[in-house]
Amino acid sequence: MTGKSLSGTTAVAVAGILVAFLMAAGCLGGQSSDTPGSQQITVTGSTTVLPIAEKAREAFEESHASTGIMVSGGGSSVGVKAAGEGTADIGTSSRDLKPEETAGYPDLVKHHIADDAILLIVNPGNAVDRLALDEVRGIYNGTYTNWNQVGGPDAQIVVVGRDSASGTREFFSEYVLKNEDFVKTQEEFNSNGGIQQKISQTPGAIGYVGLGYTEGVKALALDVNGTAVEPTLEKITSKQYPISRPLFMLTNGEPDGLARQYLDFVMSGEGQQIVASLDYIPVQG
Amino acid sequence: MDEFTVIETRDLNLWYGKKHALIDISVKIPKNRVTALIGPSGCGKSTLLRCCNRMNDLIDSSRITGNVLFNGEDIYDGHADAYAVREKIGMVFQKPNPFPKNIYENVAYGPRIHGVGDKRKLDRIVEESLKGAALWDEVKDRLYEPALSLSGGQQQRLCIARTLAVGPEVILMDEPCSALDPIATAKIEDLIIRLARDYTVVIVTHNMQQAARASDYTGFMYLGRLVEFDKTTKIFEDPGEELTENYITGRFG
Amino acid sequence: MKKEQAAPVPFQGFGRPGVGTDPTSAGAKRQLVDRIVGKLLFFVALFAIVTVFFIIVFLIRDGYQIVLETGLWNFLAGQDWNPAGQNPAYGVLPLIVGTILVTALAMAIAIPLSIGSAVFIAEIAAARTKAAIKPAIELLAGIPSVVYGFFGLILLTDWIRIAFDQPSGSSWLAGSILLAVMAIPTITSVAEDAISSVPREFREGSLALGATRWQTVRNVVVPGALPGISAAIILGMGRAIGETMAVLMVTGNAAVIPDPITDVFSPVRTLTGTLGIEMGEVAFGSTHYHALFGVAVVLLFITLAINSASRIVISRIQGPQGTARPTAHRALVAAASRIAHAVSAPFGGVVSPRTSQRCAFFLISLSVVIVLAALGMILFGIVVNGAGAISWEFLTGSPRDLGRAGGIFPAIVGTFYLVGGGLAIALPLGIATAIYLIEYTAETPLTRSIRAAVDLLNGTPSIVFGLFGFAFLVIFLNFGISLIAGQITLGLMILPTIIRTTEESLRSIPGSLREGSYALGATKWQTISRVVLPPALPGILTGAILSIGRAAGETAPIMFTAAIFSSRYLPSSLSEPVMALPYHLFVLTTSVPGASVQSYGTALVLLLLVLVIYLAAILIRRRYNRAKVM
Repeated sequence: MTGKSLSGTTAVAVAGILVAFLMAAGCLGGQSSDTPGSQQITVTGSTTVLPIAEKAREAFEESHASTGIMVSGGGSSVGVKAAGEGTADIGTSSRDLKPEETAGYPDLVKHHIADDAILLIVNPGNAVDRLALDEVRGIYNGTYTNWNQVGGPDAQIVVVGRDSASGTREFFSEYVLKNEDFVKTQEEFNSNGGIQQKISQTPGAIGYVGLGYTEGVKALALDVNGTAVEPTLEKITSKQYPISRPLFMLTNGEPDGLARQYLDFVMSGEGQQIVASLDYIPVQG
Repeated sequence: MDEFTVIETRDLNLWYGKKHALIDISVKIPKNRVTALIGPSGCGKSTLLRCCNRMNDLIDSSRITGNVLFNGEDIYDGHADAYAVREKIGMVFQKPNPFPKNIYENVAYGPRIHGVGDKRKLDRIVEESLKGAALWDEVKDRLYEPALSLSGGQQQRLCIARTLAVGPEVILMDEPCSALDPIATAKIEDLIIRLARDYTVVIVTHNMQQAARASDYTGFMYLGRLVEFDKTTKIFEDPGEELTENYITGRFG
Repeated sequence: MKKEQAAPVPFQGFGRPGVGTDPTSAGAKRQLVDRIVGKLLFFVALFAIVTVFFIIVFLIRDGYQIVLETGLWNFLAGQDWNPAGQNPAYGVLPLIVGTILVTALAMAIAIPLSIGSAVFIAEIAAARTKAAIKPAIELLAGIPSVVYGFFGLILLTDWIRIAFDQPSGSSWLAGSILLAVMAIPTITSVAEDAISSVPREFREGSLALGATRWQTVRNVVVPGALPGISAAIILGMGRAIGETMAVLMVTGNAAVIPDPITDVFSPVRTLTGTLGIEMGEVAFGSTHYHALFGVAVVLLFITLAINSASRIVISRIQGPQGTARPTAHRALVAAASRIAHAVSAPFGGVVSPRTSQRCAFFLISLSVVIVLAALGMILFGIVVNGAGAISWEFLTGSPRDLGRAGGIFPAIVGTFYLVGGGLAIALPLGIATAIYLIEYTAETPLTRSIRAAVDLLNGTPSIVFGLFGFAFLVIFLNFGISLIAGQITLGLMILPTIIRTTEESLRSIPGSLREGSYALGATKWQTISRVVLPPALPGILTGAILSIGRAAGETAPIMFTAAIFSSRYLPSSLSEPVMALPYHLFVLTTSVPGASVQSYGTALVLLLLVLVIYLAAILIRRRYNRAKVM
């Protein structure tokens, strides 16, 4: 074989690879044989609501054989916009609508599907078990920088929080921090899981996450008028635990068809059980 | 000079940008003869050659006035088609430039682009062209090997075969032997003389022995002008201009 | 027979269509084809070029808003980045400083190791060792950045926290180490090419004077290859600055300037990291949104600066040897050689040349060992931990329980769809544009500015394309998070690469071949399609395959445009979102507790996919090179 014909063979082989890729792109319609039949809906938005939407989809599709529900993330703002503009049938949000959003999409209907408590978590090795809200605020605004200032060992506090576009952070900022600025050295992660991972690895760290992210970390009790309130399901549901926020699914006008069925399922006993099983707080039953 | 003229230039001027490369060239190239263009480097002989089949079109900055007639038709006429011109007036370059294809495909390339698709007809054209270029015996057993595996002289004859395959009337050769050794050069010179039976050949050369040996007519160019054009024997034995004589006897250049 | 060639139809003139020398109407037809193809190429090229300029203008237009809202000085020199505060602040200075610090330290780590490795491969290694190490290091350039980030998040930050007894391991240092590891393959590979291309006569000249090999390398080879080495460094730096996912996962993302400025354990935040973290949740059209576009424009300008620098350096390489060079460049060379001397001084004056050679070669070999060990560790970790996750169900099933169970089949298919679609868009556009630029236009100021714009986009961080795709396709054109938005975004991202590599390929075809074809009466398009393109094809394909590898491993451009976390079905239309391997890995790592087995498994699958693609490219190039030599 000569070099020339070698390169010719190679060219053919490569052209084959390229064609394969192009065909993969081309046969979009044909290949997905288990594509659902008649109706499809898209659920998009908040990453906090994502697990509920996803688990509910799995359960829903078991009882309703041939349906197509697409669940995706993107963030609360994407959820609001997608629902408002009709690019998604259901938008999800972990925060209430902002004034400009209400003005821009007057037809949006909010479905309050669950509540989410925000837990303060530390490394399991940390001796501190409870903090007052004022102490939490002090830690997050930079007043306290060492655990011995809040009754712990002599160790630097590593403050961990969510990114500035996060709904969780927005709520935390309003409710706990009273809109003061976060300490500038706060490390930022763009997911609950990232914070959990970080706290579980870092002895001196403190962070805030949703209720579902407690593996490998210790959730702190909060001082309410001198008594420690642990973040148990019971105390959160009864609103004794002070930090929780509503989670929404949004539709443009009253939903119908598959979207209606899906929302009804989420609000049903079975759906709310899923909410509870994922460590969110059911709003019904 | 009462021979039948195939290419004629009339008051041909050419500029590359601001450089006036050809000045008032008027010449008649006789049919079925070998015409040599000689002269020192940069005198414009290659440029004149490239004017004859509009290869200068490919150089953006070139500008031309005057006429070039092929069989009486102006090839720079607004209606003229440069591609058809080059089909009738082929060209062989200084450095052999076979395509990176096999030998057969190199020769078949021209007929193919002009619409010959029939395999048997192609086979025949390839064989005849290779024979015409005196290459057939050397390559007939390895037609499908890469053209680049041939020696320099063979590559140049392949380029000539490639030109023949299109069926031209005129073959322009731009210093076709300057990159070859003496033996390969001798073969090409023989070939040129033989080609003149069926074709008109115009050859640019630096080698005065080559011009004397292979050509029937010779033009001497200097600084963009055609100084003298006559039968080769006349130019080399009894040149009309002192300039020509000086060049031929090696007093400059 | 001769009749058929030599004396065919009597001459009938050239002019009128159909009456030409061609007895059939084929002549007129092929000229029509030629003209149509020329027009077609022109419009395709025009479209691609308009798109390229459109992206730049679009980003600048939205980014300019923030300057109107806060003022240029407050934006660029503001010390606070606090978009969510009561009094929102949009100062990008900490982000710029963070980017510069992380990149600078990464370069400080990567440059000695890379150049050491390059010298080892080019000058010291035996032929067989070289044949093994060089492709290995080139392959490593293809590892997707999210894989590095995954590794950094799991192991590197924890190691830094414990080894240096710091409260937190997420730091400037972690980001720099990670970026250094990512940049090393690129720098090594390009620097090795530069060193290998130093003519052998230089080496022989030095050795003939009795110099040792080390003295020759230090005084002759490396200085001779310096322009190429500088280009390699700039290339690596571009990659480091543009990196999003890996730094985002390990630097801690606190928008502070380290205090003191040398505190490598301080958390930092980079420009790209800011876009990666905040873009997905920001409210459309808000000041914060505009500020993020401002960040993208700042990134664009940094890219522009790096591009200009590399252009200057490369023009030095191509410039004639021995001509007077500008002072800046001379200073650079002088400084570099002074450093080289300083480094080697301990072995130079006191000890014998032989001993100094031994020491130097030891250090150089050590750098290769470090590089290979670091990269080997990453590969080993992923293969060992990931192999357990791979099963038939994992490869062919749909994810369940948020990816903690089930498989990743939709993500594998989604990646193919995204890459295939991107390629289907970029390949024809890019090749047609390159053909038009090279074959149909002369070198003019216009083509030069087009080329500059293409280069600018070629070096633009992928997250910026993600930003553009999100703002323009997802939001403005209302595509939503969809397959088509992701395909277009990926297509635009690889378009500049395809244009450039195709241009290089076409340029390498000698003009004499084109002349040979024209002289036979071929039209322009016949010449291009039959003579120019076939030998250029391997080069074009190599470029295309490398783009596939890049597109398959990228997370940043698809995370806001196409990717979803979970779907049981494959998408049935272009308007639906898809799963994709890199995004799946990113989400599993950062958002799903208890899925580390699946993370490793996904990382392994992604790694294998990309490595196979790169391997194909390397093999093709090697065969092609061998063919060219013959």
